[in-house]
Amino acid sequence: MTNTLRERVAISGVGCSRFGDLLETPELKGTSIQELTARAVKEALDDAGVSAQDVDAVFAGNAMVASSQLPGTYTQLSKWIGTQFKAGVHFEAQCSTTNVGAALAAMSIAAGVYDTVLVYGVETTRTKVKQFSPYEREPISHQQTWLWTDMAVNQAYGVPQGYDIFSTYNGLVALGYCRKYGISIEDFDRGMFELCRTRRLHGSMTPKANIQEKLEDRAAREGFSDPYDYWQSDKHNPFVAWPSRLLSLVTTADGASAMVLTRADLAKQGKSEPVEFKGFGISYSDLPWYGDDPTYWEFDKRAIDAAFGMADIKAADIDYLHTHDCSHISSICTAETIGYLEAGKGLAAARDGQLRFDGNRPMSTHGGRHAFGHAWAASAGSDTYEAVLQMRGKAGARQIPRPPRVSVIHTHGYAMIGTVVVLGSL
Amino acid sequence: MQNATEQPNTIRSYYEGLANGVFRAIACKSCGRYTFPPTGCCEHCGSWNVEPAELSGEATLLFATHNITPACHPRFEKIAPYVYGHLQLKEGPIVQAIVVGVKATPQDLRELFERGPVPAKAETLQMDDLPVLAFRVTG
Ligand SMILES: [Zn+2]
Repeated sequence: MTNTLRERVAISGVGCSRFGDLLETPELKGTSIQELTARAVKEALDDAGVSAQDVDAVFAGNAMVASSQLPGTYTQLSKWIGTQFKAGVHFEAQCSTTNVGAALAAMSIAAGVYDTVLVYGVETTRTKVKQFSPYEREPISHQQTWLWTDMAVNQAYGVPQGYDIFSTYNGLVALGYCRKYGISIEDFDRGMFELCRTRRLHGSMTPKANIQEKLEDRAAREGFSDPYDYWQSDKHNPFVAWPSRLLSLVTTADGASAMVLTRADLAKQGKSEPVEFKGFGISYSDLPWYGDDPTYWEFDKRAIDAAFGMADIKAADIDYLHTHDCSHISSICTAETIGYLEAGKGLAAARDGQLRFDGNRPMSTHGGRHAFGHAWAASAGSDTYEAVLQMRGKAGARQIPRPPRVSVIHTHGYAMIGTVVVLGSL
Repeated sequence: MQNATEQPNTIRSYYEGLANGVFRAIACKSCGRYTFPPTGCCEHCGSWNVEPAELSGEATLLFATHNITPACHPRFEKIAPYVYGHLQLKEGPIVQAIVVGVKATPQDLRELFERGPVPAKAETLQMDDLPVLAFRVTG
């Protein structure tokens, strides 16, 4: 395996819808899934300065087909986005979908097959088709969302015997972290509060985020003068997998994202500032995702090493990092495995404000899976969207003071596809 | 009409074993390691040269937390919240499974956490439609 892209590839355009609920969120309420996708795609095409007919191929991502009811996504959406007669495929890598799509696009461009590829992802984790209606939707229950989502998890033995994402991804990892580094449960809880506060701050500055209310504001709205009392209240923030609490978790969302990848020389002639797609790494593992140390995940390490090797970077080169933060504690472990944060010091970094957009270790500046929200197949694209905005200096109120020159985006495709993408200034 | 013979089914065999308190795995003749629960090839080296094996059920419980309520899967609604553990079997494999005999409260889980790794033994938890693997702390 040479682990190289033989030609330079760039992201020339990015797009993303608001994340939220197609039945109630402002800017989304009443939108069809077709129009939701078109919104993200149109933004990406406009950003790149190309038309849909300028692209050579379309990689269309959607994971939870039971709620979207859009298999054959490429054809079903082609008349909504203008890509008739193009090459295309529907694929999924669960919550890594859009970035795995970017890797596939980069490979096809570097191989000389295509010049320009459109990648998009769409997901509805909050709403589903209502009976047989072509346009009406209804809410999905919590249990139904996880029953469908967990179809991506070991169906022979894991799920049938009581596997639970919150235990496996949060509680056990938290306990492993506390024991390994001698952190008390009290210090852990305080660190997780600070981490959530940072993510919610970022969400409050992101107009497309699912949750745009700061944690402090929410606490005050519920009558708490001290937001940490709110954090510790069983009513508002119960343990879902002790010692992990509800507000350290993902919030589900409906959403869509898109990006245009092209040859680096073509990108320079485009409309917006392009970003180089410097490398990627992909490695997967079935359950259990970790051995006797829940803080170390071998498949992530392999994905990181492959991506850093292809891009020829070291951890010290990273200016901006997103790690998959469906579980806040897991996101810290991954950042420590990458070497962006010091081992065992991630929660202390959160307490010190280092992970804020204006800190010296900025992470998840759009708010991450908790505040920006999580629309499975669309989410990796939303993370890349944020990284590109940051690198262009166009992230508004949450702009990192010195725009990053090297960004790393890590995602977990359930369950599990560790995917790492390295972006660099062109 | 053709006479179709029932083919071997590893998954069915595993659950039938559980119903009788037998913990089925496969042992690899190439690298000597176990794959549990069983598949048709070695999860460590990819070898197809494997043979059926039965494990002792002896384990060390490394960490224990609890699941969410209502349970993600309807099969476990009745017993949620339940304790869910991370264990290492005596024969090597890492396993996650329901832990019985411990209450899913912060107090009980904290006490267990502070004790550190403890010995545990596999048993069968009979749900309405399926026998499933569970562990009980033994020391
Ligand atoms: Zn083997």
